Amino acid sequence: MSSSQRASQLPGSATSLADYRAELHAWLDANHETLAPRYGPPGTLDDHVAQMQRVKSILFDAGWMQYGWPERVGGRGGSPMLRTELGAALAARDLADPGLFSLIEVLAPTLIDFARPELAAEVVPHLLSGAELWCQGFSEPGSGSDLASLRCRAAPEGGDASQASKWVINGQKVWTSLAQYSDRCVLLTRTGPPDSRHRGITAFFVDMDTPGIRVAPLEMINGELEFAEVFFDDVVVPADRMLGELNGGWGVAMSILPYERSSCFWQRVAYLYGRLQRLVDVASADDRSAEVVGNAYLELHALRARSRATQHRLAETGTIGAETSIDKVLVSTAEQTVYDAVRRLLPGAVEMDDEAAGEVWRSDYLYSRASTIYGGTLEVQRNIIARRLLELGSDE
Amino acid sequence: MIDAEERALMEETVRGALADAVESGVEIDAVLAKLGWLEMLEDHPDDAIGIVFGALGVTNATATALDDAVASALGQTPRPDLAVLLPRFAGWDPPARIDAGELHAQGLVTARFATAGELLVVCGPASEPKVLLVSSQAADARVVRGVDPEAGYRTLRLRGSGEGATRLDPAVWRSAVGVGQRAVAHQIAGASRAMLDLARTHALEREQFGRPIARFQAVRHRLAEALVAVEALESTLAAAREEPGPDTAALAKAVAGRTARTAARHCQQVLAGIGFTMEHPFHRFLKRTMGLEGLFGSADELVLDVGRRLLATRRVPTLIEL
Repeated sequence: MSSSQRASQLPGSATSLADYRAELHAWLDANHETLAPRYGPPGTLDDHVAQMQRVKSILFDAGWMQYGWPERVGGRGGSPMLRTELGAALAARDLADPGLFSLIEVLAPTLIDFARPELAAEVVPHLLSGAELWCQGFSEPGSGSDLASLRCRAAPEGGDASQASKWVINGQKVWTSLAQYSDRCVLLTRTGPPDSRHRGITAFFVDMDTPGIRVAPLEMINGELEFAEVFFDDVVVPADRMLGELNGGWGVAMSILPYERSSCFWQRVAYLYGRLQRLVDVASADDRSAEVVGNAYLELHALRARSRATQHRLAETGTIGAETSIDKVLVSTAEQTVYDAVRRLLPGAVEMDDEAAGEVWRSDYLYSRASTIYGGTLEVQRNIIARRLLELGSDE
Repeated sequence: MIDAEERALMEETVRGALADAVESGVEIDAVLAKLGWLEMLEDHPDDAIGIVFGALGVTNATATALDDAVASALGQTPRPDLAVLLPRFAGWDPPARIDAGELHAQGLVTARFATAGELLVVCGPASEPKVLLVSSQAADARVVRGVDPEAGYRTLRLRGSGEGATRLDPAVWRSAVGVGQRAVAHQIAGASRAMLDLARTHALEREQFGRPIARFQAVRHRLAEALVAVEALESTLAAAREEPGPDTAALAKAVAGRTARTAARHCQQVLAGIGFTMEHPFHRFLKRTMGLEGLFGSADELVLDVGRRLLATRRVPTLIEL
């Protein structure tokens, strides 16, 4: 993108990403009172979700939420890095949970790329403005790392897929983030034969108030109810809610990767710098602490450098692929390093402190243990690196 | 900076020339001179350092280009008969001080010292550095055999007059340290890549239990971890080039030290018996990185230093932006 093109899409006099960042931060400074959480830490999941939606709504009204999204879905255009900057700024300032906020990055692009244009134009603004929450129905009890084995079934009403105006869904999903709060779901279903794997999966955009959907939240290791099981019992979905082609669902699922591995990761990195800052605020200034925080900082820096390079490559070439498994390994291990540092340098904070600060450290520490599991486990990433990047051939 | 295509072409040329020279036993410094190393260093220092030191690392060629890079960063015109006194192993403080007019210097030099007429000495403290040119005849240097005898290091002690020392802007010293750190980190990145290539080739060729060991997940995952480390290092080097400064250079060198150990650990385990012999080239890269780890700051010392500064300022700066 040339700077002149960019200038027309940026606020005020901003002509570069750096100017945009400066204006954004100035605005966030000026509106801090309005945006800051209304609850004291740690807050419940209800609090976090409400805070995120409130912040999205304020940012949408002020025009910030629309940067980096295409005009045909109500956006103001410009590089996707603009919205990455916004998410990172919110994470760094603790205004919205980065894990929840960055879900936009794995949901909106799916609608933009695969939904009917009218549908995308109608619903994406609701997601951006905080009027709605959506969830992603991918994993199943029997399909975790091996997503292509999923079984939740979608059948054409009347039996003929080419004629059907409705599809009927039966099955179960699990690890669906925020399902109990969600208005819609991007759902992967089996439409081919049971053993059709990647070739027989279709994506649908399902309203969560459709009869036959039951949500059962799962209590996580930190006591939160972020994930849920979702049961589908003869759930009827109009055929025009299909995303992409019939049996093209694997492509829909994989198309998310570039967004997850660029924007979401950068937001995560911003959040982790914020958490290390919080540790550095209170850690004792001795050499043992220096070594521990120095090591965590080193890992964060390498991760940030890697993530930056990945995003510039995406902006230049329009695509990123298997090499982002390296980013995933770095982000998941850095997160655990930061919280391991907390446990080492603040003895008892995670284990014994019932004050607000302890509650936050404990919840985040326990959650960080999942960072090497969700989004493709560390082992799956290493398998991909070995096969695709090192070209070691098949492991069978 | 030169464009990506030109850079890739130069990388290939330099790497090819150095690999040929290593194979035929030609002196590497002469090859670099013929390739126009000093001109490149003058015109495009960042690219020159990245390309040449990366190639030195991957080919395990032994040169004294570090003297040129650091001398140039200290404002001297680099030339074959000028050597630079490097900081002590693992550290990055100026290697000398002037006490009551007397110069006390102690540090490392490369093989350049043997042929150079003059030695460039920076005297501390780092907050008020001074720089001095002395005759190499005056110094007492001892060849270091050490873990990597081929590298040609020498330890050097020097006592003499501090007369003629001129003030050096502390920022220039910091920037010269940064140049040294980036150069050595590039060399480690190249050597780590080479270790990984050797281990990968071995894994694909070596058969046990009736199949190539590359089929075993335990082996694959070790190589994957080595690649993660090497690529992370390359990203921090790119960041140090795009956001130049003492901090990004120091962090790149610290990441390099860690990467060398990670790559060596995994690759040596995959190479198993053969990697434990002089017959296989792995040992050269391992030993070379062990020496390089100590130039301009070991990872442990650099990490401790950055951690102390984070705690002293109570600030965690992000250093690089999108």
